[in-house]
Amino acid sequence: MTATSLNPKSPARVRIRANRLVLYTVLVAVTGLFVGPFGWLVLTGLKAPSELAAAPVHWLPAHFHWHNFTDAYRLIDFLGYARNSLIIATVYATLVTLSSAWVGFGFARLTAPGRKTLFGILIGSMMLPQMITLLPTYLIFAKLGMVDTYWPWVLWGLSSAPYLVFLFRQFFAGLPRELEEAAIVDGCGYGGIFWRIFLPQSWPVLSASFVIAFTWTWGDYIAPQLLLSTDRSTLAVAVMSTYVSSAGTPVTNLQAAASVMYVVPILLIFLVAQRGFVAGMSTSGLK
Amino acid sequence: MTVNQMSSVADRRPGSTANAGRAGSADRTEPSMTTRRHRAFYMFTAPWIIGFALLTIAPMAYALWLSFTTYDGISPNWHYVGLGNYRELLNDSQTWDSLGRAGLFAVISVPLSIIAGLGLAVLINRPVKARGLFRTLLYLPAVVPPVGAGIAFKNLFDQNAGAANGVLTFFGFDAIGWLADPYARYVLIMTVLWAAGNVMIISLAGLQDVPRELHEAARIDGASAWRSFRSITVPLLSPVLLFQTVTGVIASVQTIMPMLLAPLATTGGLTTIPQSNYTYMIHVFSEYFALGRYGYASALLWVLFVLILIATGLIFKFTSGVVFYNVDPEAKK
Repeated sequence: MTATSLNPKSPARVRIRANRLVLYTVLVAVTGLFVGPFGWLVLTGLKAPSELAAAPVHWLPAHFHWHNFTDAYRLIDFLGYARNSLIIATVYATLVTLSSAWVGFGFARLTAPGRKTLFGILIGSMMLPQMITLLPTYLIFAKLGMVDTYWPWVLWGLSSAPYLVFLFRQFFAGLPRELEEAAIVDGCGYGGIFWRIFLPQSWPVLSASFVIAFTWTWGDYIAPQLLLSTDRSTLAVAVMSTYVSSAGTPVTNLQAAASVMYVVPILLIFLVAQRGFVAGMSTSGLK
Repeated sequence: MTVNQMSSVADRRPGSTANAGRAGSADRTEPSMTTRRHRAFYMFTAPWIIGFALLTIAPMAYALWLSFTTYDGISPNWHYVGLGNYRELLNDSQTWDSLGRAGLFAVISVPLSIIAGLGLAVLINRPVKARGLFRTLLYLPAVVPPVGAGIAFKNLFDQNAGAANGVLTFFGFDAIGWLADPYARYVLIMTVLWAAGNVMIISLAGLQDVPRELHEAARIDGASAWRSFRSITVPLLSPVLLFQTVTGVIASVQTIMPMLLAPLATTGGLTTIPQSNYTYMIHVFSEYFALGRYGYASALLWVLFVLILIATGLIFKFTSGVVFYNVDPEAKK
């Protein structure tokens, strides 16, 4: 359609076309590489066990064994583990979002001696290797009898997360000052200002924070593996370790099907919440 | 029941602030405004301060104390050994070998992730149709939880059923035992690279902040696309890239999932991890949980902690002259 306006044979046109062709080829190929591993996981989940042992590789299953998904669901208490994951992730995400908003408000709108130092520690603590603190934390939780309960996630939730605090601080710092001045004149305390004026303004950040915290917890493997017994553990742990036949060999196709069912909810949540999620990621990344 | 208790905790907080406010205004001395703000500040930041003290500082201090003992959680007569654990770890070749592997993994995987992410960002920042679709598809793997990513890559690189060997044999090459030594380390790096979308999204935000006029001026002056990328884009993105480097190094040292996957999904146990993927953190894990040597493992942890602090400090020191801040980093964007 563009060919009519300019001579399609002109060198400049040809070069632009060639460039565009290269660009799209590279883009499609790279995207294929990134989608590939997940596509292969789905295909593996649809194959029969015999096809997984065959050489050369069966690229596509001879029959799509959709029943692998229901089998994977029935072989273990999938729903039970999913419910545990859902409870832990929801509890943690709700608490940590509220507590981080609360702390973020303090850093954004209030001041006191030591504020700069505290904020520096907050930012620095984002870089603390969490794996290193988790192991001794586990020993302490074990001493306090909180192993095999959901209390660790409640405590972690209440104590806010530096990353999310930072997110809220950035947002609250950008709101106009008049917002709280009028309220102070009216005799409203800071708690009321936060609860009634700032929090209702921050739905985009609240939802981004909830989604981020939810995906963290849903995806976490090490903490539930350390802190929870098999029955009370999460889907991440179950998918990793329970897809084994009575002979002790892994049931690869069912495990693949189960991990698809484990991953897809997170992908859906991300797709729905994409905007806030990405905005949150980039804000924090720019620092 | 837990939910009720939680919501009551959340409800109590604004109430307590209101009380503090009332106490302040009830004071006879009027200039209580600043005091009120100070008190409110500590009230608001208290959850983080208390949480940080109890859930970060305290465990680290506890680990430091344990690192001077023979504590194993079982035997009742554990005792203080001073620097004994540290002396032992310095003389253990396993410490140095696993540390070397972790260092090598960081030195390779972090720059590769950043280059890949930056490359994707530049690619997708060009005027292409369906940019949103491409961006979403390239970023999605970064959202896949580690367990999902690990199982996906285990199946991709399976000896018999994996697509990687399928491609190799299709072109007439021999199949490779990807999940064993010495190839397991490449699978590990590819698993990490799969999440390069993280760097892409963050770099993309940075790229879109680069003023268009700068690139136009460079083009008028006859600069090539590469030159303008190197002299304009990279310096303006350097704070973002520095942040990515620091967090990337810290994350890579702690990486444990992809190493655990291949063995856990087959027979289970830390001992079956391919030697080339037996990094420092895995070593710490096996000392903790396979051997239950909490004291010794705590010493290993503290050494790693100090090394990470030193590495972070060095990265900041060496990049301080190179990283270009066009805005005050404290100011709001």
